[in-house]
Amino acid sequence: MAEIALRDVQKFFGPNQVIKDMNLVIEDGEFIVMLGQSGCGKTTTLRAIAGLETVTEGTITIDGEEVQDRRAADRDIAFVFQSFSLYPHMTVYENIAFPLRAVGMSTEERDREVREVAEVLRITPLLDRRPSALSGGDMQRVAIGRALVRRPKALLMDEPIGALDAKLREEMRAEIKRLHMARNSTSVYVTHDQIEAMSLADRIVIMHDGVLQQIGAPDEVYLRPANLFVAQFVGSPVMNVEPVQLSANGDGAHVHLAGDGTGFHFDEGLLSAVPRDAGRVSLGIRPEAVHLSHEESAGALGGVTTNIEPLGSHDIVDVRIGEARLRARTPAGFVAAEGAPVWVSLDTGEAHFFDNETGLALREAH
Amino acid sequence: MTDSVMTRLDPNSRAAARGWSDLTIRNLFIIPTIAFLIIFNIFPLLYSLGYSFTDFRASTNAPAKFIGLQNYRELLNDEFIWRNFTITAKYVIVSVAGQVIVGFGLAMLLNRDIPMKGLITTLLLLPMMLSMAVVGLFWKLLYDPSFGIINYALGLGKFEWLADPDMALYAIAITDIWMWSPFVMLLSLAGLSAVPKHLYEAAEIDRAGPFYTFFRITLPLVLPILMIAIIFRTMEAFKTFDLAYIMASQPTTELISIRLYKMAFLEWQTGKSSAFAYIVLVMVVAITNIYVKYLNKVKER
Repeated sequence: MAEIALRDVQKFFGPNQVIKDMNLVIEDGEFIVMLGQSGCGKTTTLRAIAGLETVTEGTITIDGEEVQDRRAADRDIAFVFQSFSLYPHMTVYENIAFPLRAVGMSTEERDREVREVAEVLRITPLLDRRPSALSGGDMQRVAIGRALVRRPKALLMDEPIGALDAKLREEMRAEIKRLHMARNSTSVYVTHDQIEAMSLADRIVIMHDGVLQQIGAPDEVYLRPANLFVAQFVGSPVMNVEPVQLSANGDGAHVHLAGDGTGFHFDEGLLSAVPRDAGRVSLGIRPEAVHLSHEESAGALGGVTTNIEPLGSHDIVDVRIGEARLRARTPAGFVAAEGAPVWVSLDTGEAHFFDNETGLALREAH
Repeated sequence: MTDSVMTRLDPNSRAAARGWSDLTIRNLFIIPTIAFLIIFNIFPLLYSLGYSFTDFRASTNAPAKFIGLQNYRELLNDEFIWRNFTITAKYVIVSVAGQVIVGFGLAMLLNRDIPMKGLITTLLLLPMMLSMAVVGLFWKLLYDPSFGIINYALGLGKFEWLADPDMALYAIAITDIWMWSPFVMLLSLAGLSAVPKHLYEAAEIDRAGPFYTFFRITLPLVLPILMIAIIFRTMEAFKTFDLAYIMASQPTTELISIRLYKMAFLEWQTGKSSAFAYIVLVMVVAITNIYVKYLNKVKER
């Protein structure tokens, strides 16, 4: 097991810079998930750690040793490919034994290791099959087995369950979590699926356009997004982001949505953190922090529902306030029909403000 | 039954106007081929099988006499014939092995990103496209003891490549290797480029060295298509005639096909040579069958 560190890593493919100033320290035994849209550089970063891609600049260290110029074979890391990459002409047993045979481990020792891993992954009955006779989930189990069998310094996974169907993904997600708990191996996992990221990660690394956006525990990136991109990328349904105008009022701050005169009432402290200039700031608020009520109450703004998405356990309701539109999460069937008048209040503790130009989150000084 | 799978004739077509049906047109296309096959392939095959049980000589008017299996018995007991088989076997093994080594090696070299890969591949394929007789005549000149470029380049003086009884067969095999390695190369290249890149990445991650990767990943995955190349080249080498006939006339270069030619058209032993041809046919079929069995086994994985 090992600590992995990336310092000032840059990567160019021709004129395109796919990794920009990447700095990241992965602690020993940590489960890191790299999250981002396709083409954001997350897979390239993973492949650079593995040694399947060279970096243009910067250093990569594993346990303090610089490895950026070493071949993948000399870095002692394991890699699980999205396409599984099982050797088609070998049985499951031979596939798992391959990395051990490649370094010349004795037959008895090899056999013991392979069977132990197969037992952990529950694929012992499949050992004599060929990969073509396996289901997608079993193929992935074998691929993970092949990665784990030689006890690598780190386990890198490139969207390992992206090719599976939804139900199997859920199952494999739990399995990967269980394996990580049991083996406590340093793991880096790449995915574009935020549910996978949230459920697996010790820390999530969010990337966009080759730039690291935020590193943090799942609840941290969810509750305290560093910028607009993270705010809108993490969480489903997507966070509401609306341009707002602030005004001071005797008892505190008022946050006005476009075309709304009254404004939501916030604590006075907000005024020191968020500029009052017109058009500079956006309010970000998750649908679950938008509360709807059928009766008027103090501080609530009147609005009209425009769309209802019933999702079984809850509904997502679109509400128009002035010219702005907010989405709220309500109990199932709370709003009977579109066009109904409702009263909207916000959970001000969960509101975020972003600078429209830089996209950075604006926070009150603590 | 056949009508149901055929495309129906367009009712507005000229063929329909002439009153032809789909069936008529199908027959028009198929009957010439069938007739050709029967007249030039199947009939001679059966006719020569008949001759192989007689003492028929095409050079005389004497009627053919049925002599049963005597031709076969004589041929299989003839030690000179067995020498022809030994020579042929030696030739096939050297020639095919050489082609596989050179052809596969070239394919390995070409299976990477190199500049002008297409041009190089095309140039390497040229020998294969020449006529056997032309290749034979040219290599005779190249091998020439007094002015041939090979002796000049290798500094061998007046070494007699084709007149030396021990060397002549290998000299012919070298020419065959030069000519047909591109064929093995072409098929190997197809096989090599079909090996997914990510398997090499997986092997690299699994810490496999270059040799281990080659013998455990590359070779097993290319083997099925390489086997097809080997089957083709073995069959071709087995029946080599023109190259050997043009280049040398040593007793040590008398391949089966040359012996067969002499028996049939110089000695005019038509019946006996028919029997000989059948023995060769059975052998080629048997050897091919061994390969095909192995190929199927390889393909199962």
